Amino acid sequence: MEVKVYRSSNKYSLIQVLKDSFKGYKNSFYLAKQLAKRDLSALYRQSLLGFLWAFIPIIMNAAVWIFLQSTGTVRLSETAVPYALYVVIGTTIWSIFSDSFTMLINDLTVNKAVITKINFDKEALILLGFFKLLFNSGVKMLLIIFLLIYFKISISFSIVYFLPLLVLSMLLFVSLGMLLVPVGMLYQDIGKGIPLLMQLLMYLTPVVYNIPKEGLMKNIMECNPFTYLLVEIRNTLTGFQVEHFTVIGLILISTLLLFTFASIIYRVSMPIITERMSA
Amino acid sequence: MSEVLIKVEGVSKKFSKKLKTSLYYGLKDVFGSVLGLQPSAELRKNEFWAISDVSFEVKRGECLGLIGHNGAGKSTLLKMLNGLIKPDKGQITMHGKIGALIELGAGFNPILTGRENVYNNAAILGFTKNEIDKKFDSIVEFAEIGEFLDMPVQNYSSGMKVRLGFAVAAQMEPDILLIDEVLAVGDIGFHVKCLNRIAELLPKTAIIFVSHSMPQVTRICTNGILMNRGKILLNTINIGELISHYYALFETDNESIIGSGKATLESFNLSAYSRIENGICIYEQNNLEINAKIKVIPSIKRFAIHAIIVDTETKPVAIASSLSSDIILENKNGSHTVNLSIPLIFSDGKYSMYFTLVEVLDKNRIGDTMVSHRGIGKFIVNKKTYPTAIGIQLPCEWSFN
Repeated sequence: MEVKVYRSSNKYSLIQVLKDSFKGYKNSFYLAKQLAKRDLSALYRQSLLGFLWAFIPIIMNAAVWIFLQSTGTVRLSETAVPYALYVVIGTTIWSIFSDSFTMLINDLTVNKAVITKINFDKEALILLGFFKLLFNSGVKMLLIIFLLIYFKISISFSIVYFLPLLVLSMLLFVSLGMLLVPVGMLYQDIGKGIPLLMQLLMYLTPVVYNIPKEGLMKNIMECNPFTYLLVEIRNTLTGFQVEHFTVIGLILISTLLLFTFASIIYRVSMPIITERMSA
Repeated sequence: MSEVLIKVEGVSKKFSKKLKTSLYYGLKDVFGSVLGLQPSAELRKNEFWAISDVSFEVKRGECLGLIGHNGAGKSTLLKMLNGLIKPDKGQITMHGKIGALIELGAGFNPILTGRENVYNNAAILGFTKNEIDKKFDSIVEFAEIGEFLDMPVQNYSSGMKVRLGFAVAAQMEPDILLIDEVLAVGDIGFHVKCLNRIAELLPKTAIIFVSHSMPQVTRICTNGILMNRGKILLNTINIGELISHYYALFETDNESIIGSGKATLESFNLSAYSRIENGICIYEQNNLEINAKIKVIPSIKRFAIHAIIVDTETKPVAIASSLSSDIILENKNGSHTVNLSIPLIFSDGKYSMYFTLVEVLDKNRIGDTMVSHRGIGKFIVNKKTYPTAIGIQLPCEWSFN
């Protein structure tokens, strides 16, 4: 018979926590799928425009930049693909990054009542986040596919890297979000700050304009790891080759380490967060 | 079977009185636990012991009633048993699969239909898709929602929601079952069904049952714990004793007096009780004897007396009126002594009285309430009656063929 012992000690073995965490992910596939289905069907059932809401913010943002560029209000360097496509891909991918970052804190907040009352593997909420991200990203990609066809862009072999790169980026941002959970669930400042931070970061990443040829911005963008993810994802979609394999490799390794580390912190801190949520 | 499935040893839990410090301590505790630092067992500023040094055991086949007033620490204890939060001191050992009836219908989304939500709720409770598919029909049957299965849950009545939630949870077959006040809602028919299901599970399960409904506690618990301010006051297999202690803890409202003031109650005494505890008379046999001295002003010619028995929820359960015995008192000298004997046909529980004098006018019309003392004559009935929520148990003559 399974025996559970609860006591106050904080001593834990890393291996055990990792094992438990892994088991948590493994056991909660069905639960996460079910909750994702619940959230998505509720979302779309209660909306007239439905799927369109996935595009509206992207189109709005892209339209602003297309207008600024076409009217000459801002002078941007020539992009390798039509600017409209460049902007739409950039903002779409960035919105996926952004969603990945905030997904967990949002899901935890929404499911507070369940978390404080029912004992289930909390890893389910991370998987839930992933499932919803994948679904939403799929919807958002429809717009890009439409534009790729419209601009008659021919894709190349590099498209096979698209999905792995996208999932890698999601994992990176989800891990960052997980690290913020212990503080973010206690203090709402984190939840308020993240969207602002992501907006700022967007301008330091080649989302709506190229990396400049020289100057401070060039240096900042080249130090920014998100630049590589974004640029390479755009390359795979527009028929260009993936260039920075080494950097991507490094990001992959750091992301895996970060995710493991974040999973440990998440599992260890969850009882304490639960306590303060219900208090 | 006598396996101990739940073992609680010296468990304490502290809470903070202020949100700011609570959050700050939370943050500190998170870092402490990630770094593996030993947490301090002492109270910090603004903290208090919400649970203090609690120990008990529950064996398979036992149902432990956990009772106490709001804030006694029952829910916190249950959360620790359920593994949601960790104790600050002591240790809890749980053997076997744990099921919790703490929040019915967890994970329901109001927009979605009952059918969809059965799957959501069941998934959260740990069922697999196959299990749910297999049990789906019995869930629907138990919930009795029939044709409304495909209606959004937001249009359900609260009773329907609870029924559906319980129906899903009732499919669990745990070794340990934690139940927190889930039976506070719904109608009687539903309660009976729930209690039957719990009784069905009992032989194979160790149950902890938190409730404010003493009839329910009497009905299914094999032993019980009374908690007050985080401490165990009483741990006993005598449920009757447990409940009378629980009622004695109630700080009943002070008496209130209303009326025109044309009469006064000089004295009011109960007698023939078995014993007195904390100033409350406990009746185990005998009739309820009331002796009252009253004064009525001379302008009043005739009057009548009511003694109304009310339960702890101030629900009247019986009336003893002089009028129903066709007695109207004549006010001759202004001073009266009233002796009244009421048969002890009440179910076990705590009661008090409204003692009321009313003026009787010409043609026996009822006039003003001259005086009404509410909340006097508190008494507890403890004669091991058949446990029920119904206030009066009639002594009858039965015959069978």
